[in-house]
Amino acid sequence: MLLVASLVVLAVLLAWPVPRALARATALRRAPRAALVLWQSTAVAAVLAALLAAPAAIPAAVGRQVRISEQWPVLAIAAALSGMVAVRLLLSADRVGRNLRAARRRHRDLVDLLGVPGEGADRHMRVLEHTTPTAYCVPGVRRRVVLTQGTLERLQPDELSAVIAHERAHLAARHDLVMEFFTVVHEAMPGFLRCDAALLEVHLLIEVLADRAAVRRAGPVSTGRAIVAMAGGTRPAGSMAMGGGTRVATARIGLLDAQHIAGLPVAVVAAAMYAVSAVLVALPLSLYGLAIAELTVV
Amino acid sequence: MPTTPRNRLGDLERAVMEELWTTADAHPEGRTVREVHDAIGVDRGLAYTTLMTVLDRMAKKDLVNRERDGRAWRYTAASTRAELTSESLHHTLGELAGDKRRTALLHFLDESTPEEIDELKAALAELEARRPDLAG
Repeated sequence: MLLVASLVVLAVLLAWPVPRALARATALRRAPRAALVLWQSTAVAAVLAALLAAPAAIPAAVGRQVRISEQWPVLAIAAALSGMVAVRLLLSADRVGRNLRAARRRHRDLVDLLGVPGEGADRHMRVLEHTTPTAYCVPGVRRRVVLTQGTLERLQPDELSAVIAHERAHLAARHDLVMEFFTVVHEAMPGFLRCDAALLEVHLLIEVLADRAAVRRAGPVSTGRAIVAMAGGTRPAGSMAMGGGTRVATARIGLLDAQHIAGLPVAVVAAAMYAVSAVLVALPLSLYGLAIAELTVV
Repeated sequence: MPTTPRNRLGDLERAVMEELWTTADAHPEGRTVREVHDAIGVDRGLAYTTLMTVLDRMAKKDLVNRERDGRAWRYTAASTRAELTSESLHHTLGELAGDKRRTALLHFLDESTPEEIDELKAALAELEARRPDLAG
């Protein structure tokens, strides 16, 4: 029974206080890759704990020997509880996936129609005739990097290569899949458990990771200047911050040349984060394994 | 740039859209496939059926609208170029707001406020001071 309680407590911790605490641990942004792994393992461990809690309770409910012919109601209840979690996830994955793909298809059609193919050998680039400096990518198999004419005019060559390296890093590392995974888990949770700050933090980490690629290409100063130049463009009303006052762009500039977390080299902290991530995923699996050890089905 | 079939198709859709936009004022009732073919297909050596297929595809993508006129369809552009450009830049907020918008497209810079510019410049100045070697 203790093991089952631990699984339930683990699921609750990973779904409620842990994401909220992680979203506030801004120092971890200096190791964006490790932080993303930590976030992902938190989500995976939460899902595992929620899925396995009911089946783990079977031995406590019926003893070590399960006779299906007599005790099927208990098994059915356990299956229904886990099934509810699984169905919510699957429905959310289906809905989110279909919405995203439809939005991206529409967007790709638009930029293919309006955009001028980029110069040089890059057949994925499109330039839109507009003065507002904007850059984004449409992820997927038929991917696109989209820039406006205003971006080309406003940015210096090294700043432009930083922006392009940033967008290409998103596409090459499939950051869209990371975001999709978190969006699916987020929407599968009951409303009162959802944490918008967590989703925003994961999004920021993806940006910081792509900035790393830009820094490798163009250096921290050029990347920082690119961020300022892109932010300085005139923005139409209605597209203002949705992040509840988070200073995302300022934070990103501060992170371009981060070397230490709390006085320790980034690599050391990152290694610790990977270790914690592994333990997090192993925890629900081992608790479940212990709970159903010696269980026999007759 | 290598010319792939997909590129040619994209070029053709652009040319069709261009034709519909430029003739929108003179022909508010729209253009038939025959008229579009005469305007842009003959020079390119394209078959009538090729343009019919392209316009049909574009109608399915909601890029053009069509209405029956006797036995033919009349095609009009669904939106002006400015409207489509605006949609591709801000992806109409109501349709795809917040989380979904952030996940569908990955923007270089998604959220910044005019008030943030001063902070940004200060952060950049600090960065340049830390890296004088690169700030030339």
